[in-house]
Amino acid sequence: MTTVTPGFGRTVAHTAPQGSDQRPRRQLVDTKAPAEKAFLGLTRGSALVVLAVIALVGIFLTIKAVPALKVAKFSFLTTQAWQPDIHRFGIAGIMTGTILIALVAVVIAVPVALGLALYITEVAPARIKRTLVSLVDLMAAVPSVVYGLWALLFLQGRVVGVSRWIATWFGWIPLFHVNGADPSNPVQSGTLYSASTFIVGIAVSLMVIPILCSVMRETFSQAPLGEREGAYALGATRWGMIRSVVLPFGKGGIIGGTMLGLGRALGETIVVILIISPVYNANLHILQSGGNSVSGLIANLYSESSAFGTSALMAAGLALFALTLTINFAASAVVARSRSGAESDA
Amino acid sequence: MTTDPYTRIARMLRATALAVAATALALVVCVAGPSGPAGATSYVPVTGDGSSWSAGALDQWIADVHADGIQINYTSDGSTTGRNNFITGQSDFAASDIPFQTNPGDGSAPEHPQAGSYAYMPITAGGTVFMYNLKINGQRVTNLRLSGANITKIFTGAISNWDDPALAADNPGLQLPNQSIVPVVRSDGSGTSFEFTQWMISQNPGLWNSYCSKAGRAPACGSTSFYPTVTGMIAQNGDLGVASYVSQAFASGSIGYVNYYYALASHFPVVQLLNSAGYYTEPTPQNVAVSLLQDKVDTTDVNNPALYLTQQLQGVYTDPDPRTYPLSSYGYLILPTKVGSSFSTAKGSTLAAFAYYSMCQGQQQSAALGYSPMPINLVEASFAQIAKIPGANVQSINIQGCNNPTFTPTGVNLLAQTAPYPPACDKQGPTQCTTGTGGAVAVVTPVSRTSTAGPSSTTATGAAGAAGAAAASTAAGGGTAGSSSAATSQTCDPTTGACTPTSGSTGSADPSLAPTAETATLATATGWSTTQTLLLLIGLVLLALMLVPGLMSRRLERKRSP
Repeated sequence: MTTVTPGFGRTVAHTAPQGSDQRPRRQLVDTKAPAEKAFLGLTRGSALVVLAVIALVGIFLTIKAVPALKVAKFSFLTTQAWQPDIHRFGIAGIMTGTILIALVAVVIAVPVALGLALYITEVAPARIKRTLVSLVDLMAAVPSVVYGLWALLFLQGRVVGVSRWIATWFGWIPLFHVNGADPSNPVQSGTLYSASTFIVGIAVSLMVIPILCSVMRETFSQAPLGEREGAYALGATRWGMIRSVVLPFGKGGIIGGTMLGLGRALGETIVVILIISPVYNANLHILQSGGNSVSGLIANLYSESSAFGTSALMAAGLALFALTLTINFAASAVVARSRSGAESDA
Repeated sequence: MTTDPYTRIARMLRATALAVAATALALVVCVAGPSGPAGATSYVPVTGDGSSWSAGALDQWIADVHADGIQINYTSDGSTTGRNNFITGQSDFAASDIPFQTNPGDGSAPEHPQAGSYAYMPITAGGTVFMYNLKINGQRVTNLRLSGANITKIFTGAISNWDDPALAADNPGLQLPNQSIVPVVRSDGSGTSFEFTQWMISQNPGLWNSYCSKAGRAPACGSTSFYPTVTGMIAQNGDLGVASYVSQAFASGSIGYVNYYYALASHFPVVQLLNSAGYYTEPTPQNVAVSLLQDKVDTTDVNNPALYLTQQLQGVYTDPDPRTYPLSSYGYLILPTKVGSSFSTAKGSTLAAFAYYSMCQGQQQSAALGYSPMPINLVEASFAQIAKIPGANVQSINIQGCNNPTFTPTGVNLLAQTAPYPPACDKQGPTQCTTGTGGAVAVVTPVSRTSTAGPSSTTATGAAGAAGAAAASTAAGGGTAGSSSAATSQTCDPTTGACTPTSGSTGSADPSLAPTAETATLATATGWSTTQTLLLLIGLVLLALMLVPGLMSRRLERKRSP
C-alpha cells in the first residue's frame, strides 16, 4: 500500500541564524533519550517490515507459481480457460474481467467521490461536514461481505432494469452489447443482465468511494488560502475559485486517489464470488451475465484445487500482484511529478 | 491529552504486553482444558465441511445437539472442498455426496485419502430437484413436468427456449412462453453436479458428449463435479447460491438444480421428472424411499472403506415403480478413523455422539426438511461405522426407539411400502395436474385441459407446504402425505397402483380461457411474509414514538444546562 499525502511541498526554508561570530559555536551533542531511540528503532523497523513483507509475498508467489508457469509458458498470458489439471489454463480471460470490473468501479466512483470531496471541503457547513466525514468513514468500515450480500439480494434485481435500458439504447456500442437481448420481447427475463461485470462494478465502487474521497478531501483542504482569497478578490464565483485554485491544486490527489481505488478494486474478492457467474473466457460485454476476476477465481477454486491447480492459481495471483504494484507505483509517480499546487501558481 | 508522547507510548506498550500475556494465558488454559479425561459429557468443538446438498439436514441436527453441549462447526462449501479439506487435515470430518475420486473421468486431479483414515456413512436421503422460476401471463407456473431427455437438453443447451415443442409435449396443459431458458448450475466443485452429470451420461450419453465437446472439455467427458458452462448459463456458488438466484424476481426463465430442501425453503416449485413408469413425480420423502430401494449400496466388504456403503444409482434411474423419482440418492458423511494432527479422541467422542443423534433421532425430522428418513439396514450399518471413530463411546441403541418412520419390526421399509401412487393426471399423456410442487404446493396452476386433480380439497391439504408434507410423513400414516395425497385417494388404488381417471375428468375447458383463470394462491402460507414485516415495522415505529421524544428532550436539556 502506498499512502498518498500530497500538498506538503511548501516548507519554508529557514536560513541559518545570523548571529555574531565571536562566540565559538556551541557543540551540539545529540544524546537521544532511550525512549526516543526505541521509538526510532520501532518506526524504522515497521517501515522495513512492510518492505520485507511485500518482497516475501512476491517471492513466495513466484516460487509457488513456477511449476505452473513452467508448463504453461507464454500461453499462460493468452489462454482463455481454466483447467489446470489437463494443462489448459491462462489468465487472458480472467485478467480482462478483473480489469473491466475495476474500470467500471472507478468510472462510477470517481465522479461521486470528486463531488463528495468538493462538497465536504468547499461547500458544506461545519455541522454537515462533520457528519458527512464520519459517514464516509463508516462507509469504509462496512465489511465487503455486507456490500456483497446487499448487492446480491437487493441491488442486483434493481440494476437489471438499468442494464436492460442501456443495452436497448446503447447496445450498438460493443461494450454495452448483450448477446441474445431482444427488446421486442416483453417477457424476456432479466437473467441475461444479471450476475454481470456491471453489477459487481457498482458494488465495488461503493467500497472504493471512501478511499477516493478521503484522499481527494485531504488534498483539496490544503489548497492555499491566499490563492483562494486571491481568486475571490479578482471576482471569482465559488465555482470559479474551485476551478482555478482547488482543482488544479488537487490534481495530484485526484489522480493518486483514483489509482489507489483502482488497486483496491482490482483485488476485491467477496463481491465477485457472491454475484458473478464465473466464466473463463474474456467477456467484453459488461452488461451480460458472466465474468470473473483473479481474486474471485482464487477464492473460488483454492480449496478444491490439486497441487498443480494451486500452483496455477498462484501464478494468477502473481500476475495480479504485479499489476497492482505497477498501478500503485504509477500512482505515486504521477503524484510526485504533478506536485500539487504547481499549476495554481501561474 | 497533555501527557508527553513517550509516557503515552510506554503506557501503551505496557498495556499491550499485558494484553498479550493475558491472551497467551487464556490460550494455554483453552488448550490444556480438553486434554483432560474425555468423559461422556465433556465435548470439544468439531469442525467439518462439504456438501451443501445435505446441509439442510446437517444444520438442523447441529442446532439440535447444541443444547447438549455438542458443538459442530459445519460449513457447506461443496463436496469437493469437503473432501479436499478432509485429506489435508483441515477439517475433522467431511460431508460429500460422492466418494473420494481416485480415478476421476473429468480430467481433474485424483484424490488420495490416507489409507485407513476414513469411513463412509450415508446420513441423508433425498432428491436433486430442478427448481424453476417461470410465469405465464404473470402467474407462477407450479406444475411443470419434464422428461429426463428434456432436462438434459436444457442443461446442455440443446433446448434454449421455453416454447420449444419438446417441452410442450411434456406439458399439454401449459402454454409455455416465448422466453429463453437460463440453466443455473454450480460454480464450485459439487457432488450434486457429479450425480446429475452421471445421470445424464447414463441416460443420454450422446447429448452430454456433444455438449462436453462444445464446452471445451473433450476428451475428459466423464461425470464431473465441475459443471462445464457455456454462454447463456449462470453458475452460482453452492445450493444456496443457485436457489437464491432462481428465486429472485428478475430471474424468470431460470432453472437450477438443488436439493429438494432448498426448493421447500425458498417456497419455489420443482420440476416433476418423468420416471421409467411414465409418471411425472417429485422427490417427496415417500417417493425417495421407494426409489432408493433400487439404490445398490455396497455391503460386500466391511473392511474396504473405499467401497463399503457406497451407492450404485443405475437401478434408481430405470426403476419401473410409478412412485420413483429418478434423481434420488444418499448423501454421506466421511468419518475419520484415525487420530491425526488435529483430530483427537476427544473430538472423536463428540463426533460420534453427533453421528448417533443424526442417525437415530435426527431421522425423524428428515421428512420435515425435505429429506427422506434412512432405512433400517443403513442405520444399523451406520452405527457400525460410527464405532470405528477413535474415541467413540459406542452406544447400544434400541433401534426401534429411534422412531424412524421407515422402521417396522419386520425390517420392511414402511415409508416406501405406504408411499402413495401418483394421481392419474401425473401420467404421461394429455392430462396434467394443476397442483403445485415443491415449496409451492399451495399454488395451483390452471391448465388448458383440466384433468383429474385440482379439486379444492387438494389445495387445502397442500396449503401447509413443507410442514404439511413433513408432519404427515413423520406420522407414517397410510399415504396421506405430500402434495399428491388428496388427488391420490380419489383416483388411485394405493395397493395396486392402478389409477383410473374419475368421470368427466378429461372434459376440456376452453383453452383460451385457461391462462386467465382465477389464481388460487391461498392465504394460509406460513412463515415470514409482507404482513409480518409490516407488523414489525409498526412495532418499531411505536417504540420509536415512545422513546424518541423523551431521549431527545433529555439530550436537548443537557445541551442547554451547562
